[in-house]
Amino acid sequence: MIASVAFRNFKALRSTSLALAPFNLVIGPNGSGKTSLIQAILQLRALAKLPLREAVADNERQPEGAEILFRFNPPFDGLEASLTCVSEAVCDLLQVTPLPSGEGVDDWAGLRTRLLSVRSYCFDHEAVASTPALKDGAELASDGCNLAAVLAARRQAFPEAFARFTAELFRLLPEYDELSLIERADQCVQLGLRLADGAELIPAGDLAQGTLCSLAILALAFDPAPPAIVCIEEIDRGIHPRLLRDIRDLLYRLSYPAEAGETRAPVQVIATTHSPYLLDLFREHPEEVVVTEKHGRAARFTRLGDHPDLPGLLAGASLGDLWFSGVLGGVPEDK
Amino acid sequence: MSSAQPPLKIAILSESPADEAAIAVLAEVALGRQCQRVQPSLRARGWPSVAQVLPAIIRHLHFNTDAAGLVVVVDSDNSVVHLPSHDAPDYFHPYCRMCQLRAVFRQTTKKLPPANGRERVLRGVGVAVPAIEAWYLCGRDEQVTEAAWTAGLEIDRPPYTRPQLKYRVYGTDRPSLYLETQLALEAVRRHQGDLRRLENDFPGFATLAKDLRSWGQ
Repeated sequence: MIASVAFRNFKALRSTSLALAPFNLVIGPNGSGKTSLIQAILQLRALAKLPLREAVADNERQPEGAEILFRFNPPFDGLEASLTCVSEAVCDLLQVTPLPSGEGVDDWAGLRTRLLSVRSYCFDHEAVASTPALKDGAELASDGCNLAAVLAARRQAFPEAFARFTAELFRLLPEYDELSLIERADQCVQLGLRLADGAELIPAGDLAQGTLCSLAILALAFDPAPPAIVCIEEIDRGIHPRLLRDIRDLLYRLSYPAEAGETRAPVQVIATTHSPYLLDLFREHPEEVVVTEKHGRAARFTRLGDHPDLPGLLAGASLGDLWFSGVLGGVPEDK
Repeated sequence: MSSAQPPLKIAILSESPADEAAIAVLAEVALGRQCQRVQPSLRARGWPSVAQVLPAIIRHLHFNTDAAGLVVVVDSDNSVVHLPSHDAPDYFHPYCRMCQLRAVFRQTTKKLPPANGRERVLRGVGVAVPAIEAWYLCGRDEQVTEAAWTAGLEIDRPPYTRPQLKYRVYGTDRPSLYLETQLALEAVRRHQGDLRRLENDFPGFATLAKDLRSWGQ
């Protein structure tokens, strides 16, 4: 979907660019631009909702203001989107320009439709455990607060997809054998999981943080109509290191649907983590890992697959240990 | 496989749950009896981590469990392949993972007093050359053998890469853990009746099988 993003003066991203893959795991210290990357994509979505403005003269823009350039994969590689600043506070101007070559030069409408489906998530276990109104189940909220309603809606509208979701849920979490979605008299829906051995129903509020976050990621991976781009912050949150392989598999299901036997379009995934255990799982695909580095007040992106000595380094240590050691970059600067 | 004997309590240390499931099947065939795995299961994060955690795991199994033995299987990746010459008394190749794992076993167990009714936890070490997926292809792809890999390394032209092996087994670069486990089990069950082909084509497996057979002696 998005082929590349180039930043100038956007928060800590003073002058850097990043080619995006179908799946991107972003690692790096706090304040190094991981969230800024996601915010830039969300700002593109926000401005894409509005009608495109006429061209703005250079002297109307903030001379030192932020600028973010987006390029896209086919069928929209004939277009470039730029976010610049007319006001001082935010990037508030979206302009779309045709490129000399590429497809979709006249299809801003098609690209816009895809951009409007971009979603960002940072699951919060307390929100995921909440009891939402049944009517709020159209799509998963950014913190997962309407998960129960989303699942109830899918059970109704997409019973086959829902059955695949529950089958995967019980494979991942074999201690449970029933997903309970109780529609209450007040038109709210309550989520719970029934223990396989004791038949006890555990209400969402009593489920473990990692269980709730896994449920939300699972719901995302089995969305029958997923967004074009999914950004997820801290995908390892609360999840045991041994279950991270399953979480990676779920995210791969979004980015590489054909390999999971699905026929829908791939979803571009941008995920962040601070877990060396999760990073270990990308030993075979270092090209999917983006390292953010911050020197002074400026941050930049590099692809782990571009590290010249990576095969040699991997002969002596795991990827996660290499990252922690500092030899891959992406670690905090010493005080 | 004998069902008269009670299951043998063993532990398995490998690089993934899929490998562990496959190794459990092969270990039962080599031992000729059913096994019961120590819980919680053991796991390491790839090669350097196996060697790092192994002393602690041996010590834990020795003092805190009634496990009869520990089976360790790692991929050789691009490291030195274990050769018969390495088996000479007091020989140790510093870059051979089989030699390294055996040395860890030797050094760790010799310091431990008897516990739980046994002198020591028995050792079963295997090294899959270059990756366990090569074992899974045994009998399906005649080009994939330990000898072919070693010969390729000698001329600096490996006959295949680890990603290629994985693709041949799983049909994708990014298999899910579920798929990996299913196909691993399917592959090793082909050898349930007879391990000779696997032992012949993969001396790194034959060494493991020999270790396991010695447990009954």
